[in-house]
Amino acid sequence: MAATVEGPKTRPRAQDSTSSGWFTIPTPLARLFKKFPLLTYPPNELPARSPEIREVPTLYVFISDEDALAGLPSFNPSCLKWQTFLKLVGVDFHVRPSNNHASPTGALPFLLPPSTPGNPRPQIPIPSNKLEQYGLDNAKSKLPKDPGSRLEAYQSLLDHRIRNTWLYTLYLSPANADLLSHLYITPTTSSRPVRARISYQLRHAAELEILRSTGRDAIDTAALYKGAKEAFHALDAVLSDEKWFFGSEVPALFDATVFSYTHLILHDGLAWKNQRLKEILREYPRLVNHRNRIFRRCWGAGE
Amino acid sequence: MNYYRSSTDPAVKTNSVPLGVSDLVGLQGLDVNDELLITTWLQYSTTPVSRTIPLRIKLHVWGPAFGLESIDAECLAAIAAFRHIIPNDAWSLIASNNTYLSPDYTLPALFHDGTWTSGYMNIISYVIHHITSYANQLADNDLTPQIEADLLAYSSFLATRGSGLVALSLYASPHAWVELTRPAYSGLLPFPLTWTIPSAIRAAAIEKAENLGMGYLAAEAEADEADAGSGTETTSTGFMRLRERLGPGKSMRPEQTAAIRFTQLATDFFTTLDDLRGSGQYLLRTSSPSSLDFLAYGYLALMNVQTPYPILATCLTANRCSIQFLQMMNAESQDYILPRREPKPRGLPTTLGIFADGAIENIAGAGESWKRWRRGGINSAEEEKAQDSTGILLGIGGVVVSLAAVGAAVLFRRLPPFGASTHRFEAPREEKGLYRFGEIGAMLDGLPMFEQPPAASSPVLNMI
Repeated sequence: MAATVEGPKTRPRAQDSTSSGWFTIPTPLARLFKKFPLLTYPPNELPARSPEIREVPTLYVFISDEDALAGLPSFNPSCLKWQTFLKLVGVDFHVRPSNNHASPTGALPFLLPPSTPGNPRPQIPIPSNKLEQYGLDNAKSKLPKDPGSRLEAYQSLLDHRIRNTWLYTLYLSPANADLLSHLYITPTTSSRPVRARISYQLRHAAELEILRSTGRDAIDTAALYKGAKEAFHALDAVLSDEKWFFGSEVPALFDATVFSYTHLILHDGLAWKNQRLKEILREYPRLVNHRNRIFRRCWGAGE
Repeated sequence: MNYYRSSTDPAVKTNSVPLGVSDLVGLQGLDVNDELLITTWLQYSTTPVSRTIPLRIKLHVWGPAFGLESIDAECLAAIAAFRHIIPNDAWSLIASNNTYLSPDYTLPALFHDGTWTSGYMNIISYVIHHITSYANQLADNDLTPQIEADLLAYSSFLATRGSGLVALSLYASPHAWVELTRPAYSGLLPFPLTWTIPSAIRAAAIEKAENLGMGYLAAEAEADEADAGSGTETTSTGFMRLRERLGPGKSMRPEQTAAIRFTQLATDFFTTLDDLRGSGQYLLRTSSPSSLDFLAYGYLALMNVQTPYPILATCLTANRCSIQFLQMMNAESQDYILPRREPKPRGLPTTLGIFADGAIENIAGAGESWKRWRRGGINSAEEEKAQDSTGILLGIGGVVVSLAAVGAAVLFRRLPPFGASTHRFEAPREEKGLYRFGEIGAMLDGLPMFEQPPAASSPVLNMI
């Protein structure tokens, strides 16, 4: 099969080179073309945002350009979680704004390790599920021993109850539609139909995610907020009067996860119109203080 | 489709029924179980005063399967909890297998005092707040804030991780599904519903497992099923592909490869429970069982089911602590007779209605919108009724585009196929000569002998 396909392709080419002057360029034209290029410009500079030779790793997150320059927190909880964790363990890194399409796994964040001078090969990006190991390997400060299996149980509170309520509040609550479009939709495009489409897709994805997680056929907002309140209550109780979760000496990944939600819920820079989640969280001052402690530790001054 | 709700709701909205004998005649809405109550009332009511009927506590659940009381973990948990806290003459257990009863379309569902409560956690919290006389049997009431937090966290852990593991073992695994779970559902449901409901439950279970990050295991199970179904695999060019059997990874069935990771997840799960229980009798180290113990029992009992590839059951058996806990919970109330009641027969129209609903949900593309439309999508209790206009615009746009597409398709079908030679059929222009005699005339017209002389169109020309 392959030979028969190859045959007719190669034969005419052989004829071209030997036979008639049909395919040879007339001499005057050839002489004219030889004068080109008239001028060769120097190569362009790489765009300012392109990866340069990096001394430090770069974390790609959802963030506005200005905030990225200042190294401020991302507005996406899962990005903020890893950003905070890396800061807590003392890894030095830059943040860069990015989006899902840029990520090898299709989800942010991911981290590009520093390029080594001797090794010209491009670095393999580290997806978020391997960031914990990366952080521990490159940690400057020592981390506490594994707090054990209780963490897993409390993690499920964050991953389901609080996350579902977060998804509802940001993506589905009509009052917060402006905030949603400010954070995720306006930066991507200026075309109105595309924006409408992206907005629809985001909402739809959020709705599906909540429905899957709750296993119900409809979203009951009262139940969602009640669930979040219970979850915050439980987190508040388990933190009690300790500085960090599970009686640890230094903050760890779980603290970063809690912070990624509490910070964004309480952050005044985000124009929340639906304030319900914020009001619920404000009832637990110990969680609010915990959030402030982490913010001070990672970003210097509190708000 | 609303008649499911309306058939159940109005009959139950009355929580205290002022009774006269004439009222009794009208009580059509009550089912068989209430006859007992009414007889009791007749015995007691020697004086005609208005009395309040203590409407019974009814627990609607999925029916028994795999030798357990129910096929569903939360139903098992609810049954176990009720068995422990409520004497068996005060409630009834109805294996109705009908999610359409409760407004949330979820079982277990508790019907008490004219309200429906569904889901294990909600039911327990309802019992604690509204059926207070029995609630003190549960350890949930006097817990320190720390332990209370643990209760919530571990309940959430069970409901997510535990249900994910059960979904993988009983629903996602194609062998378990075909040999065990689907037959079990077939035994529970009336005839046409066995076509729609089990597959919908399975799809939901797999989605749930995916949501928990266990999706890759489910995906492998799916691939395995497709494999088993088609028998031979073909390459993209249509040739039969020979199975690669090189390393151990290749020679194992996908379910076996997944088994190794699955075992890891399961072991983590059991370890987490064991760490919580420690040396205590119950999970929260209380003296009497809490709602968490019953929930754990529900999940562990389903995990102990022997599937064709009993990965989960093997893990559970290997974990002495968990299996001891399960045995202890099993032994807890051996001599308790469950107050089972037969569910009200559904009736053919209801069954067909549910079947039609399930069938429509399975239509690609339309099913989701249908489900969303019928079951409400988002019910926000207050505020936020602002309809987002983009949705409507998109809807209208979609309709316009699809109409245009249909129109274009119709138009295209009416066009002659591209590249085909065109034939034109025309009626003869003039009905003169032999053409007047129809087809035969037209044939004869071609013959030279019958040729007509050219007709003179005007006498003036003739003269020239």
